Amino acid sequence: MPTIHTDPPTLYAERSDWADVTPQAQYENVNPLAPIFYTEEYKDATDYFRAIVKSGEMSERVLELTENIIRQNPAHYTAWQYRYKTLLTIKAPLDVELRLMDELAVKHLKTYQVWHHRRLLLTETRKPVPELAFIARSLKADEKNYHTWSYRQWLLAYFNDDELWDGELEFVERMLKGDIRNNSAWHHRFFIVFQSGTRKGDEDRDEVVRRELAYVKQSISQAPNNASAWNYLRGVLDHSHTPYSTLQLFVQLYTVPHSPGETAVEVIDLENPPPSKDSQLPCPAAIEFLADIYELEGGNGIPKATELWKSLANEHDTIRKKYWEYRIREALQSTGP
Amino acid sequence: MSDEATLQLPLLARVGHAQHCKICLQGLPSSQVDVDSARLALAFYCLGSLDLLNSLESRTNDFERQDWREWIWEQHTQGRYGTGFKPSSYMTPSHNLDNYTEFDAPHMITTYTALLSLSILKDDFSRLDRPGLLKFLRACQKDDGSFYTEPGQGGDSDIRTTYCAFAISSMLDDWSGIDVDRAIPYITACRTYEGGYGQSPFCEAQGGTTYCALASLYLAPSSSPIRGEPLTAQQRRQTIRWLVHNQGQSGGFHGRTEKEADACYCFWCGASLELLGAKDLVTTSALASFLARCQFKFGGIAKSPGEHPDPYHTYLSLAAISIHPPGPDTTTSTSWNIKPLDALINTTKETAEWARSHIPGQKIKS
Ligand SMILES: [Zn+2]
Repeated sequence: MPTIHTDPPTLYAERSDWADVTPQAQYENVNPLAPIFYTEEYKDATDYFRAIVKSGEMSERVLELTENIIRQNPAHYTAWQYRYKTLLTIKAPLDVELRLMDELAVKHLKTYQVWHHRRLLLTETRKPVPELAFIARSLKADEKNYHTWSYRQWLLAYFNDDELWDGELEFVERMLKGDIRNNSAWHHRFFIVFQSGTRKGDEDRDEVVRRELAYVKQSISQAPNNASAWNYLRGVLDHSHTPYSTLQLFVQLYTVPHSPGETAVEVIDLENPPPSKDSQLPCPAAIEFLADIYELEGGNGIPKATELWKSLANEHDTIRKKYWEYRIREALQSTGP
Repeated sequence: MSDEATLQLPLLARVGHAQHCKICLQGLPSSQVDVDSARLALAFYCLGSLDLLNSLESRTNDFERQDWREWIWEQHTQGRYGTGFKPSSYMTPSHNLDNYTEFDAPHMITTYTALLSLSILKDDFSRLDRPGLLKFLRACQKDDGSFYTEPGQGGDSDIRTTYCAFAISSMLDDWSGIDVDRAIPYITACRTYEGGYGQSPFCEAQGGTTYCALASLYLAPSSSPIRGEPLTAQQRRQTIRWLVHNQGQSGGFHGRTEKEADACYCFWCGASLELLGAKDLVTTSALASFLARCQFKFGGIAKSPGEHPDPYHTYLSLAAISIHPPGPDTTTSTSWNIKPLDALINTTKETAEWARSHIPGQKIKS
């Protein structure tokens, strides 16, 4: 037997439970700049929202209304603000709100407000630990999402719990295993290792620097043409005031083409892992690095650096020709008569 | 070099790009509802594009420009946290002269774009509440030196808002609204090991936020200790290196290491290099050919080839061309001639001059 099914009215203007509210149309001058041709649903919901804000009502139905608007326009920051204030005022269960946000965050990953709202909620609930798993899940949808990574960095720094930091290195290694060129993950690694205090077991800072250098060298050997890894390497050296020249043997392996006779018979030097066989050599980042070493050496190093910069300018990295020529000029000037 | 053929650039479709912006100024489809709370910023990108193309006078008439100025002044709003501009009337039920409420308040980024938009439209700024604007800036600054996008609670803050506060103060030629000494450590805390700046402390280096950081540092008033050269020689070298390496093989810039090129970063990174006095290091022919490929066949410029255009990427691409016009190694036409840009406050030099001579108002003679 067929059932008669009527959809509930979608417009607030048709709903009896909103009949007590007088909708407030948006004020608009005769010739506004960049007016938006709103859908009927959006116009209806925001007409009621302006009325609610005017009356100051904070209630369960305001949560429904603001969710409706947010789903139509996640960048409506006033709807977010009013919703947050309402949640606190009526003492709504914030864990329920977080579950709703789990859904909206993945749907609107690139919307600033989604993440800002979540931060505000966390400063109330003060239960940061489950957030780490949530962030890991949402990174699956977009592994380099700036908001998601910023949120993780904020969470760690704001709550600064040992329990939060414990699994971070492992987490970031997992992310890098998934994509060795994920600069957000490399940045995060630098943040957790060098910029946020000392973790238990990491008290020996020289050992930490050795560990990080070994890690990044290994990564470069797998994929030499990865600017993220080279920037990380430079970052570790700068941070620990380690001279670039200590890496000369390592980088030299990457500045020349594969030799035809190279086979597995060579003894692998763990300090200086060689480039993987299928990698593209020479590697411009290694040539740049070696030139930096020569430049810092001064004297006879300058002509050697100049040769390398010329090879970058004319052959291996021609898009930055002007930059390499500038480096040559700068080096000659600072050593000039 | 003799073995290098000169590059033949396609035309810059000026008329199409102006048309794209003009259409957006006249109205946006419902699919763009997400700019509802940022309409004035979008209007700035449209007006700014027309300004860069030198098409404002030819493509808009006096009545339109008059109406637009009026509409922007409708967003000028006063209240307990001072005076500024709100993004649009999206929260305004009816026109009234009462003070704004907490949920219809002025917004820092909007205020910056409103001042520039009014300057493009050659407004005389006789209606600007200058003391109110200073009060607004004061109300937005946080203890950590950064700025809320809106005063009161609930607003967010990051280095983009810092830039807007600095640009507003600079245009006002009055720095009494902000505590520069407190703002600068926040900016320097955004610097990362790569040599760029992140959106807030601990965040990854990114082209747009690096521009905001550098422009703020270079805008800082002469009374501040960092004026002159805010970066050490070593920092400057490192930042230039990072910026230059963001130009990819396609000729376009990416905003973060190992990401894809995007037209807007041609401006954010390209302008940053200009601020550092290193604009000659950009390979302009490759940059222009990338931006040429980002042009949409029916007008407007997209973030990358094959994508849909928008006023934001259109404006920033044109601004990038203004700073880094195609060089002598390209065969090109006058279609690529864009008005010169003031890279510090991000508008044409002509408009910047208008802003700087009209926004400060009458100096009180002592
Ligand atoms: Zn972009």
